[in-house]
Amino acid sequence: MPEIAIATEKLTRRFGALTAVDSMDLQVESGQFFGFLGPNGAGKSTTIKMLTGLLAPTSGRMSLLGIDFTRHPVEVKRQIGVVPEGMGLFERLTAPEYLEFVGRMYGLDRATTRKRSDELLEFMQLADRSKTLIADYSHGMQKKLALAAAVIHGPRILFLDEPFEGVDALAAGALKELLARMTERGVTIFLTSHVPEIVERLCSHVAIIKRGQLVAQGSMEQLRAGVPSVEGRTLTLEDIFLSVVGQGADRAQLEELSWLT
Amino acid sequence: MADVSARAGLVEQIRMVSWLRWRVLRNGFRNKSRRLDLIGLIFSGVFSAVFVVAVTIAFFAGTKYVLEQHVAQLFSLFFLALLVWWQLFPIMLAGFAPQFPFRSLLRFPLDLSAFYLIGMAYGLADAAAIAALVWMLAMLAATLIAEPAAAPIMLMVCVLFALLNITMERLLGAWIEKLLAKRRAREVFFSLFILAMISLQFINPIAQKYGRAIVPAVRGWLPYLWILPSSFAGDALARAIDKEWASMALKIAGLAFYLVLFSAFLWMRYAKLYSGEELSETAAPARVEKRAAVTEADREERMGFLPPQVMAVLQKELLYLKRNTFLFFGLIFPPMMLLFFSVQLTGTHPGGLKRSITPDLFFPGMMAYLVLILIAPSYNSFSYEGRGMQSYFTSPVRFRDVLLAKNLLTVAILFSEIAMCVVLVGWRVGFPTLPVLFATLAALVFSIVGQLTLANWTSLSFPRKIEFGKMQGQRNSGMSVLVLFGVQITFGAVSALILFSGRWSGNPWLPAEVFSVLAAVALGGYFPALDAFTDFAEKKKETLLDAFCR
Repeated sequence: MPEIAIATEKLTRRFGALTAVDSMDLQVESGQFFGFLGPNGAGKSTTIKMLTGLLAPTSGRMSLLGIDFTRHPVEVKRQIGVVPEGMGLFERLTAPEYLEFVGRMYGLDRATTRKRSDELLEFMQLADRSKTLIADYSHGMQKKLALAAAVIHGPRILFLDEPFEGVDALAAGALKELLARMTERGVTIFLTSHVPEIVERLCSHVAIIKRGQLVAQGSMEQLRAGVPSVEGRTLTLEDIFLSVVGQGADRAQLEELSWLT
Repeated sequence: MADVSARAGLVEQIRMVSWLRWRVLRNGFRNKSRRLDLIGLIFSGVFSAVFVVAVTIAFFAGTKYVLEQHVAQLFSLFFLALLVWWQLFPIMLAGFAPQFPFRSLLRFPLDLSAFYLIGMAYGLADAAAIAALVWMLAMLAATLIAEPAAAPIMLMVCVLFALLNITMERLLGAWIEKLLAKRRAREVFFSLFILAMISLQFINPIAQKYGRAIVPAVRGWLPYLWILPSSFAGDALARAIDKEWASMALKIAGLAFYLVLFSAFLWMRYAKLYSGEELSETAAPARVEKRAAVTEADREERMGFLPPQVMAVLQKELLYLKRNTFLFFGLIFPPMMLLFFSVQLTGTHPGGLKRSITPDLFFPGMMAYLVLILIAPSYNSFSYEGRGMQSYFTSPVRFRDVLLAKNLLTVAILFSEIAMCVVLVGWRVGFPTLPVLFATLAALVFSIVGQLTLANWTSLSFPRKIEFGKMQGQRNSGMSVLVLFGVQITFGAVSALILFSGRWSGNPWLPAEVFSVLAAVALGGYFPALDAFTDFAEKKKETLLDAFCR
């Protein structure tokens, strides 16, 4: 039986009267490249924040690699890497200084941290900016650095909140290859994105969240099976997504913008 | 097919920019903390109004006096005061007032002349400009009463002078914006500004010592003021009153020349902005320098007694201190103030008190002052973390380690500053007696450790983000300031009572003994409190992340 990397049980988070995540039961197996999709405000970020220790759940349970997060947060955090929303960078450090800080926070010794930091900066094409403060990096460069920091300790689960936003196509290609290789080695990747094409290309399994509730979960094949097919072509994730969460602006709304079209 | 908007009129565009400025200011108060700022704004508004009215009366009375006493050459001084106010006040205010990104207007369909005129209108809507215009109106009103024949010339001079000042202020502002576009330059500027403010404290002692010697030198420089536009404006009026029309015309021409010259400079600056001048500070890629290979020394921990997480945070804090020009320069502040107080209070200088304070009083007083100044940032110790705050919650670290590292740095700074100041006190004032020395040192341990415990609590309970190189709105939360003052007053009062107990009881060593016990208690409570703060930080997680990652 495959090991369960992420499991939640009736995971709920309320903000006053608003229930951002509602009794979510989620299961992600080890080694899966898991895509988490949802429209704006559906509860994606709230979920990933709870799973990475940035937000406490109102109720419910969650365990990562079989370890109860609430009872053993430090143990869980040792096993995971995170690129949070906003990236969580210390902008007054240079990239090598930041990676050294992160490596040491995860308990790596100085020599290992330096070696890995150099390799990661080289891979992310940031080595020539090693003396520039992170505050002076472009958004894409910061994203690459955040990803480098998330993997420096060799995590078993990697949480990525919109990892390719602002990253150029060249770097995005290299990153996707790196992530694919990580999953081959058994690392679980949990990725949120607004772009169904990215999720479809990278992820083996997908979950779709709408108004705080999971409305679909499974492999691409399982998801396709649950949605009426269109004659003559294979359903894309975008088709499935639109079918599950509902269409965007309809024709009547577009008519109102006739002055633009 | 999408349609294209018609060309908006310049007046309408200026109106919309004014509306935008107002909305930016108003919307700034929509959140709760900003609403509290509104109270401060009302206070400062009332104070400013009183100031402007008082100066208006002074300008009115001064102008009337000058005209009635026939000393029109003094008008140059009036205009000099206006010039200094108009050019310097907006710079001083820039750090505190809400800023509007004027350059961002360039994305709208404006031609260069419209951009220039909007810039000038923008300058006219400045608080300093409005005050100066009111003062010039007071001068005009006084002229109408005392010397009506000179009123048209006064009006012409004032209009020219106002236009010149707005142009100069915009030009200065545009250049400052260009210079401060670089983050480093911005920080150095603010640090120099703070240092200049501190240096003002020394004007009184310097004036007392060297005042008489400076006067002839200042007098020697006065004739060169003729070159300033304020002198041209004042002289033009004086010549008009004396009916020396040719000379008056020459002076007005001089003033107009200044206006044309600065307008040309401003036009060129705006033309650069208009053409898309890049003020971004993204640095060019540096040449790759390979780091030295990993050695055996790298494998050894330099401070092995500290956990790696504590070391990591400590190193990061040191780097942040080094790069925070504002805080870094602030380390010079305590020794400078100690020097200042030693001059003012100890009678080693003619300007000092007649009965100088003894080292037994001065030493504990100065040490208390040092703690007051240097420990204050600990009450909001995460202020500069920004989004990095998330790292503390996503990495496998207990908050006690984070707080411990931050406290260790504070203690290291306090230790080095205290050591430096002890030497300075010894040199300037003399050392205290042994009982007072030991009592003060024990009191320092009690006060620092006790305050750090409370400061850790306020840092977690009332966090407030502070941004590097900015002055507007950059302060701790009201609650943490309140706690800071409450704690400082309590610690100060208790310490003073204990120190004086030595005199009252006749046992000079009693304060040292009491403080030693208190220091032991504070130390004993510090570490259990650190553990408790790990759970407390978890409870305050959302408040902290909301404060720093928004």
